[in-house]
Amino acid sequence: MAPYFDTRFGNPSSTHRWGREARAALDEARERVARCLGASADEVCFTSGGTEADNLAVLGGWRVLKARGRAAVVSTPIEHKAVLQAVHQAQKEGAEERMLPIRPDGTVDLEAARRTIDGDVALTSVMWVNNETGVVQPIAELATMTKAAGGIFHTDAVQAFGKVAVDARTIPFDFASVSGHKLGAPKGIGAFYIRRGTPLEPLFFGGSQDRGRRPGTENVPYAIGLATAMERAIAEREAHWRALEPLRDALEAAILARIPDAVVHGRGAPRAPHILSVSVPGTDSESLLMALDLQGVAASAGSACQSGSITPSHVLSAMGVRADLASAAIRLSLGALTTADDIARVSELFPALIQRARGHVGAA
Amino acid sequence: MTQRVLVAMSGGVDSSVAAALLVRAGYDVVGATMKLFHDGGEIPDRPCCSLDSVNDARRVAHALGIPHYVLNLEDRFGHDVVADFVAEYAAGRTPIPCVRCNTFTKFRDLLAKADAIDAPFIATGHYARVADGRLHRGVDEGKDQTYFLWGIDRPVLARLLLPVGGMTKAETRAVARELGLLTAEKPESQEICFVPDGDYVRVLERELPADAPALAPGPIVTTDGRVVGTHDGFARFTVGQRRGLPGGSAEPMFVVELRPADRAVVIGPREALLGRGLVAREVNWLVPEPPAIGAPLAVRIRHRAMPVPGTLVRRDGGEVEVALADPAAAISPGQSVVFYDGDVVLGGGVIAASRRLLPIRAA
Repeated sequence: MAPYFDTRFGNPSSTHRWGREARAALDEARERVARCLGASADEVCFTSGGTEADNLAVLGGWRVLKARGRAAVVSTPIEHKAVLQAVHQAQKEGAEERMLPIRPDGTVDLEAARRTIDGDVALTSVMWVNNETGVVQPIAELATMTKAAGGIFHTDAVQAFGKVAVDARTIPFDFASVSGHKLGAPKGIGAFYIRRGTPLEPLFFGGSQDRGRRPGTENVPYAIGLATAMERAIAEREAHWRALEPLRDALEAAILARIPDAVVHGRGAPRAPHILSVSVPGTDSESLLMALDLQGVAASAGSACQSGSITPSHVLSAMGVRADLASAAIRLSLGALTTADDIARVSELFPALIQRARGHVGAA
Repeated sequence: MTQRVLVAMSGGVDSSVAAALLVRAGYDVVGATMKLFHDGGEIPDRPCCSLDSVNDARRVAHALGIPHYVLNLEDRFGHDVVADFVAEYAAGRTPIPCVRCNTFTKFRDLLAKADAIDAPFIATGHYARVADGRLHRGVDEGKDQTYFLWGIDRPVLARLLLPVGGMTKAETRAVARELGLLTAEKPESQEICFVPDGDYVRVLERELPADAPALAPGPIVTTDGRVVGTHDGFARFTVGQRRGLPGGSAEPMFVVELRPADRAVVIGPREALLGRGLVAREVNWLVPEPPAIGAPLAVRIRHRAMPVPGTLVRRDGGEVEVALADPAAAISPGQSVVFYDGDVVLGGGVIAASRRLLPIRAA
């Protein structure tokens, strides 16, 4: 990345030598990103991140098929807000919004999907791996169903890339979103996959970059950073899973052993091993997060709004989790730097904090 | 080991300085901003709860090198404060939501969060002092906020730190400037945080059913029983109000009572506002031994009014009756009455009724 902040500062759209140099680097980054997705270079465009890619997918797909007479957009209530709000925007533009029900284990109800996805559907958007529970969705089935009905299938693969095989050659998705900073690339870069031949209306206008699908001067160094991060994520994917799964299972077992009434969300469903979402009756996530943070453990709850205030998770609510448990949920994330010692420490600390929190809740 | 304190930081200058003074005094300070309602973009710039205020508090905390959290108390505030505010107006009274906010949200809920992080103390930027386990008026007479603090649980006092209570507002600003706090020059706001533009009727219209009697037309009646006009909802009026009443009387007329039973707004001359005493409910004592019957009290019936001499004449459970040495005007049901002994807050309650000097005749 570094030289492209410095001596190789050319604009990839310029025809002079510095421009050509930048263009070559961008083309190479695009090739590398495409390879990571099992795609061709012309099927990849760069975005400012997952949110833009999700908006481009949902609105770009909906708007173009709306013009061809299709009236519905299918999604799920457990999507990231970038998809959910884009789907709501499509609804404002006339789309019939069809939300697929979620089963208690956090997976999409495929029977309901079969009844819902019909010839009226412009686009189906379902996330591959849920960011709050780690639950892996049946993307191949949903993509196949949507395409059989003549619609476009998009998957938000922001959490999935680097954990499951996101490969356009084996899974028939039409659009996929990837975010750089989830993989160790800088914040502010993402990739959007568009299967060759899939129609798309752009969100932005004003340039021919990315074949007019995403006009605007490309961020060359970040695109290179994204390519490198994606390659590394693929190379380490299986080892990463093998390393995290026993750690997650150990933490889960320790928590359940010490707090028998703790509820692990998504337990029993196929789950990526980087997240453990757990609720303990009689506690609240806000207090636990403060207490954990003050002990040096960074955890999360539902989703934080811009002010930083926590609202109960829409994902857990959609899974039918009781309101008091949803507002007690804590998300413990594991990564490449997580060690067995870390797990042992949290296995002690978490139950201790729970015990104290339970002593006080209700006194309020 | 240093002692931990959880400071409620609204994003204003007072609580910013409170946090700074505690850091300077060597406490292990943790900042928290309470998000009390969802402004939905309707209230752009408020002393608390707006995005800008939360950001200000966060930046001050960062500058002080202390952790900062946002506490979502919207549900509890909605239940404990906003719902009561609406119910009081619907019942023909004039509530003070800040009192209930202090009692329930700022102190009780904050203390529960303090427990969760093992903090023995909580702190706020109120102008009041705690000394010898008692609540005292703030040093700055013009800023003293004890009128709004009578309802807090007495045991809270042992765990409450009020770092700016011993300073004047000017001194607080000076400290903020000296520390370079970005909130140093932030303007004051005296309005109710969840009421946009001071227009409380809009909140009532939003929260009450369309056919609520409090917002429906009713008669304007004089104290001697004559109907002199109609109004479009008694909740739009406040005892002591002069504006918006029909003219044609020889002397100025004031709202002297709101009567939900027949939806009447009762008006009368200035003398009709006078009361020689009052009954208070939900009384809370902040001293270990509540005053005895016959005990002299200094009685404050509105914020910033000087306390006036009175006597406790009756006390049963949460209700008291107080006689005033000199009649006072506009003793308004729903407002607070606070009892003092010098600087010490003895306790307070919600005004239930005025013991009127002049009778009101039924319409």
